[in-house]
Amino acid sequence: MFTSSAITRRSALKKTACGFGYLALAGLAAQRAAAANPLASRAPHFQPRAKRVIFLFMAGGVSHVDSYDYKPRLYKDDGKMMDFADQRNIAKTGMGSTSRVMKPLWDFKQRGQNGAWVSDLFPHMAQHTDDYCVVRSLTTEGVAHGPATLFLHTGSTNFIRPSMGSWVSYGLGTENENLPSFVSLSPSMGNGGPRNYGTAFLPPVFQGTPVGRAGQPATEATIRNLGNASLSEKEQRKQFELLRAMNDEQLKRTPGDAEFEAVINSYELAWRMQHNAPEVLDFSKESPATLALYGINDKVTDNFGRQCLMARRLCESGVRYVQVSYSDNSNNPAWDQHSNMPKHKEHAAAVDKPIAGLLTDLKQRGLLEDTIVWWGGEFGRTPYAEKNGTGRDHNPVGFSQWIAGGGFKPGFVYGATDEFGHFAVENKVHMHDLHATILHQLGLNHEKLTFRYDGRDFRLTDVHGHVVKDVLA
Amino acid sequence: MLVAGLWLAAFGFSRASAAGPDAAALEFFEKKVRPLLAEYCYECHSADTKTKGELRLDVRDGWAKGGESGPAITPGDLEKSLVIKAVRYTDRDLKMPPKQPLAPEEVAVLEQWVKLGAPDPRTEATLAAAKKQHGMSIEEGRKFWSFRPPQKNAPPAVKDSSWPHGEIDRFVLAKLEEKNLHPVADAERATLLRRAYYDLIGLPPTPEQTDAFLADKRPDAFTRVVDELLASPHFGERWGRHWLDVTRFAESSGGGRTLLFKDAWRFRDYVIESFNRDTPFDQFIAEQIAGDLLPHTSAEQRRRQLTATAFLSLGPTNYEEQDKGALRMDVVDEQLDTLGKAFLGLTIGCARCHDHKFDPLPAKDYYAMAGILRSTRTLFNYTDNVARWIDAPLPMDGEKEVALQAHEAQVAALKAKIDAAKAEAKKMLAGVADETTRPGKRVAVAELPGIVVDDTEAKAVGAWTHSIFSRSFVGEGYLHDANDAKGEKTLTFVPKIAKAGRYEVRLAYVPSTNRTTNAPVTVFHADGEDTVTVDETETPPIGGRFVSLGKFRFEKDGAGFVLVSNTGTKGIVNADAVQFIPEGEVATSDTASKTESKEARAANSKVKSLEAEMKKLAAAAPPRAVAMAVREEDEIGDTKIHIRGSIRNLGEKVPRGFITVASIGKAPAIPEKESGRRELAAWIGSPENPLTARVMANRVWHWLFGVGLVRTTDNFGTTGEAPSHPELLDHLAVRLVEHGWSVKKLVREVVLSRTYQLDSNAERGTQSAETVSRSEFRVPSSIDPENRLLWRQNRRRLDAESIRDTVLSVSGELKLDFGGPNMRGAGAIDANTTAAQNTEYTYVYADTRRSVYTPAFRNKRLELFDAFDFGDINAPMGRRNESTVAPQALFMLNHPFVIEQSGKAAERALGLPGKDDAARVDRAYRLTLGRWPTDAERQVALNFVQSPASEGAADAGRQKMWAQFYQMLFASVDFRFLN
Repeated sequence: MFTSSAITRRSALKKTACGFGYLALAGLAAQRAAAANPLASRAPHFQPRAKRVIFLFMAGGVSHVDSYDYKPRLYKDDGKMMDFADQRNIAKTGMGSTSRVMKPLWDFKQRGQNGAWVSDLFPHMAQHTDDYCVVRSLTTEGVAHGPATLFLHTGSTNFIRPSMGSWVSYGLGTENENLPSFVSLSPSMGNGGPRNYGTAFLPPVFQGTPVGRAGQPATEATIRNLGNASLSEKEQRKQFELLRAMNDEQLKRTPGDAEFEAVINSYELAWRMQHNAPEVLDFSKESPATLALYGINDKVTDNFGRQCLMARRLCESGVRYVQVSYSDNSNNPAWDQHSNMPKHKEHAAAVDKPIAGLLTDLKQRGLLEDTIVWWGGEFGRTPYAEKNGTGRDHNPVGFSQWIAGGGFKPGFVYGATDEFGHFAVENKVHMHDLHATILHQLGLNHEKLTFRYDGRDFRLTDVHGHVVKDVLA
Repeated sequence: MLVAGLWLAAFGFSRASAAGPDAAALEFFEKKVRPLLAEYCYECHSADTKTKGELRLDVRDGWAKGGESGPAITPGDLEKSLVIKAVRYTDRDLKMPPKQPLAPEEVAVLEQWVKLGAPDPRTEATLAAAKKQHGMSIEEGRKFWSFRPPQKNAPPAVKDSSWPHGEIDRFVLAKLEEKNLHPVADAERATLLRRAYYDLIGLPPTPEQTDAFLADKRPDAFTRVVDELLASPHFGERWGRHWLDVTRFAESSGGGRTLLFKDAWRFRDYVIESFNRDTPFDQFIAEQIAGDLLPHTSAEQRRRQLTATAFLSLGPTNYEEQDKGALRMDVVDEQLDTLGKAFLGLTIGCARCHDHKFDPLPAKDYYAMAGILRSTRTLFNYTDNVARWIDAPLPMDGEKEVALQAHEAQVAALKAKIDAAKAEAKKMLAGVADETTRPGKRVAVAELPGIVVDDTEAKAVGAWTHSIFSRSFVGEGYLHDANDAKGEKTLTFVPKIAKAGRYEVRLAYVPSTNRTTNAPVTVFHADGEDTVTVDETETPPIGGRFVSLGKFRFEKDGAGFVLVSNTGTKGIVNADAVQFIPEGEVATSDTASKTESKEARAANSKVKSLEAEMKKLAAAAPPRAVAMAVREEDEIGDTKIHIRGSIRNLGEKVPRGFITVASIGKAPAIPEKESGRRELAAWIGSPENPLTARVMANRVWHWLFGVGLVRTTDNFGTTGEAPSHPELLDHLAVRLVEHGWSVKKLVREVVLSRTYQLDSNAERGTQSAETVSRSEFRVPSSIDPENRLLWRQNRRRLDAESIRDTVLSVSGELKLDFGGPNMRGAGAIDANTTAAQNTEYTYVYADTRRSVYTPAFRNKRLELFDAFDFGDINAPMGRRNESTVAPQALFMLNHPFVIEQSGKAAERALGLPGKDDAARVDRAYRLTLGRWPTDAERQVALNFVQSPASEGAADAGRQKMWAQFYQMLFASVDFRFLN
């Protein structure tokens, strides 16, 4: 921590009382700072099982019937024309479609101790079936990417609502004052763009901090404005001293003003962030074994591996909510295989090992205990071929995601779709329910985590959502 | 069981008597049973829903009569009661609730209830009564302060009659005196000047302007400045920006798939000009809601009025929504929400799904207004995969319009000629087809232009037969479906698109008489899908080989493809190759060109020369300008109530109309054949509307004091706050109407009040000579720390635009050009394309015009705006957030914009001749903070700028030190606040 030689301890103490955080925040001063900082850590509604979330977003929609939802019927009836209540057709015309059943492109096997069926699409993730809980009966809203992506992130397809990470920041604050509480790694500009990590009507302080952007290599991802490249460290110190001296004089004109102090505090915090935050994204102290675990330096997995490792490092440093996006800026994001199902393999190859590595790493560090790792896309894909071609269309009425750690039952498989994998039929879990359940594990009651705006209380789950107790350990 | 038992014990419950359930039984029902039914059953089994299985559980008669499976409950008999069977989850075919079983104790409650004879007071009548009571009744609502007409109150008497400048001050002082308080002293004149400049034009006064004002000893010196500022065209930039906040103005749609609003700048300019010309506010309302329907006497007026209706189109519409019926209603809902907040200060959006829970706003009123907007066309159509707004052509003035029409006629005529020439050329080509397709004529993929996907690369579903029979094909042969397994075979041609853009897509096939006449070929492109039916008995028109499927947009490495199917066909379906030719290369790439006849060549060259002519003609005059606008819907009519806001659950039809509780006089009648927007605007802009003038007067106050008399500027309903000074608010509202809805006059009156001119600092003010002499008054800061009583002006944060504009004005880089488009690369492009999206995604904010002109994209914001609380531009916002967070500090310390502009400011400072460093420091303080430095401040600054730079040559080093000094002035506390 930076202390100036020109300032004696006494005057520094005096200044601390005025709100200058020159000294390590401790005791009263820390409490004051906490009261002033809207991001300060806040107590949850009840004893939490998890402290943080890593959401691995698979933009475009992973095919559940090719990965986690094994349906023998698809092999039996492969190639047959059958009637399906196709959601896109229904939205457009009110009618379903006659479509050709398409069997999975990857072989399913039973894995792990629990014998869960997982296909060869994700060979590395498949080795972790005893670590996560697969929910095979999810339903969501929105048939197109934009609406469904917004629903996944904000609980609404079209209304302007805060994102889930913002709600969590609002509810819990950050564990590390020198870092933002909500970070979105390499977010896409499309399909809702900033709304997926935005605060809408919540105070802007709870906004997700984008680090990197879709399409930009993860090696270039940084938190913005953390340094001034045109000045040396020494020059920056000197300049910061000037600012302190100027503010000091300005404060003399209106002593004891809380608003002024808040601004001064924000500079002290910025100064500390500037000196601590870059370290979080610096991998130089990671062992070669760790880098290899995430597939870093291997061309196929390097980019997503780096994002996953950043996620671990951010979580370790006290960030509450980290979203890792496997995405791009196009209107048909990565996993959107309308014509070419085999392309799923390319995407799987890029994310599979890094995600498995992340699980292994979190586990060996004891972090998986209180970290929720949530994997999935905005919807699944149809068990039949789109337009009888060679791809699958969107399926929001039944799909799979998995959640590891944070008190979710490890090695558990919950819910089921119909025999084709089209509609969720057993123990249905709506996206609102999953949102409520994740909040619950963080110690937040989704019905009580509200914000008053426009004269009424809003919440992530609107007037819906039930905590799915069955999936909790 | 245990739980229910305890409950019964607590209620001292006996068996249900024949005379009906007793009080304890009813209480058991109300506290334990009704919540369970409401929570788990009503969703599917009540009057408000589809009533699954015809069973209703929201009234006693519902379960007594039962649904499709007969009575649902037999009082007293558990085994005969289907409801009990269902919740026990033991019957394979009857499990309720369907999602997951009730908890055992919940099942026990229901069992106990049935055993006790199922006491249930709910009848249709109680249901209806309960419904009526939802929210505040209209009668009650009429008594609520904001729904009563504003009263013209005489300003109250005050003790200190020498203090007030005018009527406003008397309202304020009277309230203070009630509490035995007195206002603080007036602000220092330089402070007042800076305040007035920022408040009225959003820019700081120059040191010269300040000097002139301080030297002006005339008693009306301030009035003169205010009048000057009100007359300045920058007034509209400042106040227009406020209104743009309220209208959720943006230059892209955001939402699921963001589209570029390339013409939204016209609306921005319209708003700025309206404030500058002081358009009466009622007229301003009418133009925004119904501009397209208003009479006009000049093209200029027509343009202005059409442009104004973009107010209705600028929402964050989710154009990608697949259910276009839902999308249409989403647009209406968004318009009502915006209009309600902007003009009426009401959250009417709440009444979309049900009667407003708190305000006297029944769903009926909501759908009365929704009918008006559903009778208005905002979307271009209801069929496009990705919808879009309406671009209305704008008329030009007099001769210009004549010339433009003549030009358009020329263009149309030439286009007809081109079409004819093309048809002629096509005929010629068809004529030579036989020659080019003669047996044995093969073309290698490599010989063809564009991206060619041969049938060998196509992904085949079902059995396709390879053939070389015709000997005229692309590559190694072609595939056909053998005329069987109709509906089960497809071929997918996936191109590798290396460059995003529009492509002409062509299918090559081998024609013959045994072919199908209706092969469905679907192109999946970036904007959706289009199916073309190809008659394969016909010779392909292009070189006897290809047929064009149309021009479509594809993204780089995107998910586009072409799918050939044999669904619904009779006769052989075949496909040879699919070709994707980048737009622009098409004309020269026809494969037939090498072999075409002399006549064909002539026809082709005629097409080319005509197209060249067209290009010239187009360049000669710019195309007609268009504006985002709305129009009357093809079918006008009333709308049904959408139960729970769903378009699939419709209730009774509601005649178009307005909000009942806010209708004081006779509401204007809506003609049957018109949407009613004109009447809606008239109703909102009527002097009798209790809300409109109050809401706007309060906004004016908010924009001049940082806090409204009603702090919830967009919510005047029962959940909003009450006014701190109701009489004053009414006074301002009445004045606004009396002065012909002139916003400028109202602003002037407020700014010239003494209340506006007070010091903003509690300590400094109360210690001034004037207040000390009033020692009988208490110190207000301890009584009213929030300054609700207005004993001082509020110190305010400089908003994002003022921060940016001031930095640019200090650096000398600010460009003060008025209006016009300000988006690089937009204009010529189709707003609904990747190119247009990329305009947003890759936008570099480099211009130095005033912030009101900075492109207001929803998905890519200017970072400074994001950091300094510009706020979310997806929803109307009359009041911005004010935060103090570390990212703002990081921005000031490290963002290239601040660093660059500080460098320019330093260059400028050092370039001034004949100044010493002390004078330079003084000027820097005056430019950035609008005041002189204190001696101590001057010394701190001099110590810094005169210390040797750690690096670089002397001159460069000196400039660097000054740049850092300027940057820290921008970063300093005083810069952030407006005193």
